[in-house]
Amino acid sequence: MENLMEFMGNSGLWMAFLGSAIAAGLAGCGSAIGVGIAGQAAAGVVTEDPSKFGKTLLLQALPGTQGIYGLLIGFLIWSKIGVFGTIQPVTIEQGLMLMLAGVPIGIVGLISAIYQGKASASSCGIIAKRPEEFGKGMIYPAMVETYAVLALLASFLMLNGIKL
Amino acid sequence: MAIVKMKKATMIALQSEKNEILDGLQKFGYLQILNLEERKEQGFEELEPDSDNEAVGRLETKLSQVKYSLDFLSKFNTAKKPLFAQKIQVDESKRKEYLNNEGKLNEVYESCRSIDSKFTEIKSSETKLNNTITQLNPWLPLEISLEDIGSTQNTNSLLGFIAGKYEEELSTAVKAEDLHAYLEKVSVEKENSYFLVVYHLTCEERITQLLKQAGWTKVTFSEYSGTPKENVNRLLKEKEELESKRAELTKQAENLVSEVEFLEILYDLLSVEKDRRSVVKDFVKTGKTFMLQGWIPEKFADNMTKLLDGITDKYTISFEDPSEEDEIPVLLDNPKPVKPYEMITDLYSVPNARGIDPNVFMAPFFVVFFGMMVTDAVYGIFMSAVTGYILYKYKPQGGMKSMMWIMFFGGISTFFWGGIFGGWLGDLIKVKPWWFNPLEEPLKMLIFCLILGVAHLYTGYILQAYQNIRSGKIMDAIYDQVLWLMLLTGLMFLALPNLAVIGKYMAIIGALGTVIFAARSEKNIFKRFTSGVLALYGVSGFLGDVLSYSRLFALCLATGVIAQVFNAMGIMMGGSIIGKIIMVAFLAFAHVFNTALGVLGAYVHTSRLQYVEFFGKFYEGEGKPFNPLRIRTKYIQE
Repeated sequence: MENLMEFMGNSGLWMAFLGSAIAAGLAGCGSAIGVGIAGQAAAGVVTEDPSKFGKTLLLQALPGTQGIYGLLIGFLIWSKIGVFGTIQPVTIEQGLMLMLAGVPIGIVGLISAIYQGKASASSCGIIAKRPEEFGKGMIYPAMVETYAVLALLASFLMLNGIKL
Repeated sequence: MAIVKMKKATMIALQSEKNEILDGLQKFGYLQILNLEERKEQGFEELEPDSDNEAVGRLETKLSQVKYSLDFLSKFNTAKKPLFAQKIQVDESKRKEYLNNEGKLNEVYESCRSIDSKFTEIKSSETKLNNTITQLNPWLPLEISLEDIGSTQNTNSLLGFIAGKYEEELSTAVKAEDLHAYLEKVSVEKENSYFLVVYHLTCEERITQLLKQAGWTKVTFSEYSGTPKENVNRLLKEKEELESKRAELTKQAENLVSEVEFLEILYDLLSVEKDRRSVVKDFVKTGKTFMLQGWIPEKFADNMTKLLDGITDKYTISFEDPSEEDEIPVLLDNPKPVKPYEMITDLYSVPNARGIDPNVFMAPFFVVFFGMMVTDAVYGIFMSAVTGYILYKYKPQGGMKSMMWIMFFGGISTFFWGGIFGGWLGDLIKVKPWWFNPLEEPLKMLIFCLILGVAHLYTGYILQAYQNIRSGKIMDAIYDQVLWLMLLTGLMFLALPNLAVIGKYMAIIGALGTVIFAARSEKNIFKRFTSGVLALYGVSGFLGDVLSYSRLFALCLATGVIAQVFNAMGIMMGGSIIGKIIMVAFLAFAHVFNTALGVLGAYVHTSRLQYVEFFGKFYEGEGKPFNPLRIRTKYIQE
């Protein structure tokens, strides 16, 4: 056991990096999938009526925020461990905490972006058939995003509690 | 009240003055005509439904002609459409002139039609030419005139093709049997080989057999003379001619584009007239008179009488209050700054005529929440400047106008929240926050957001209580809202040391009251009690609602930190002078992008807070918007 600790070094830095990778990577994947799903439906609507491009683009953009939230937490982790300046010493315990702080937005971002993309895709149907109800169509995907917003908050508060 | 009170007007006047009266009413623009035929049970059985179908039909034909011409010409209109099109101003004499100018409409319409059909013709002959050229293409190397193909006294010649894989088989067979035949391979295209076959009539039978085995497909060019090459050249020339014909037609169409304005004006004038004539079908008539019924805002009733007095003195009119079962249309009358927010509410549902108009209460929260979700002073200035400029310069109308005003107010609010929390382009411009920095004191920020949420939700409960009181259900207001608010307030006071004692009693009274009265319509005492206890579970629902306002913090955080990320990235570039230039360009782009992202998020999430958390507490929508007979135009100023 002691050997293992020695082997890993007294640095939790790599765990912190893993945390930021989970946050930015998973949430980014989710957004990519979600935006893709919404984009497929949006393109279908635009083939029928090109003037609906603007509205469908807004719907397509909605699942894109998770990736940004993930990057945001990743960035906060990096600035905490000093990637942009001098690297701070990080113990294994701190590293583990930094890693866990990245988990909520990573996982929730991944899953919520996919489902938000599906909700957006369905809302594209509203734009196709009843464009005047566009506002309602924006709310359904936004309901899904709530949980990404809450996860962002959870990640942020966790991160905020870690003292280096 | 923000919902305008309506009166039901019933009017009888002379048929001979119908057009003048309708014209006046349309310009007046505050009467929504009701269909009397559908209301036959009310003692109008003996009256005939009125109609002006002939005129409506005529107008519809003309409108479809105008529409067709406009659609056709729009393909040739190269002038760029401005983002916010201004409406054209047209004076009275010009209107008359345009409406009476039937010849011009016919002329334009007919020219559009003929140009359009000529285009179709050109298109089809072009397709035909292209097909023939593709057919001739494999024969280009053949230097024989096509009319020479065929039989002579002793020989016959054929053109055709076979699949390339049978080619060798065929030529070996011809050679092996020493037939009096000659095969010339003209060309190879894709999988097929194209052949000219010449043979003596004596071996016709055998050749035909061999060709059949090889899967021969005969090609004939009976109506062509000259070599294939000559033919293709001729066809290409014809194609060029078609092309120049098309260019000429395009020019003709482009000349007609100058008539677009005439068409647009005519379109509006005709549709205004059609609107006016269409309502006649909702009237009932006798031989000499007609009767109409409609909704009119109470305050305009006098104006209507005055207007009618100006036209004629042979009419009667009466105004009555709506009855219980009437479906009253909804017209909102809000102060100017609140007006744009009607759009947000209407997107959810138009207020109910017998409910309350939430816009006055919703608008301030919307402004505050919107600003908090962006929270950057410079972004706020930018948003207000851009939307203010558009509002001033282009004077957009309708939904666009509302949207711009919402962004404008949102920008001001964003500026203030940015100042309060110290966000000036993220952390690019270091200004001390007027209050505190949420990134350093996140818990304080979170609690602040939740307090705002509680205020928003309480407003919702109070509005529900008001609604109950107004409709005479005072006890409902006490049992459902007052007790509930006492319970919630008491629970929250428990968290504050110096109010904890009061809080305890308030919570107990509220909880007991809720348990006893929540299910007061239930007769069975046991069931009533259990339902009452279950109602207490609503506290967790309230907790969920309040926590939902943490998105205020999260979105504010998102804008701020993304701005910081961009700043960090930008500053990394700023080494040399070129780097600095790139940095400035990058930062400008990045911050505009972040503003757009922030605005989209703020709009969507503020709307959600209004729709789900706030409206869920009290709002009754599903009203029918007031839709009066009025002058409605698309292109010209009213």
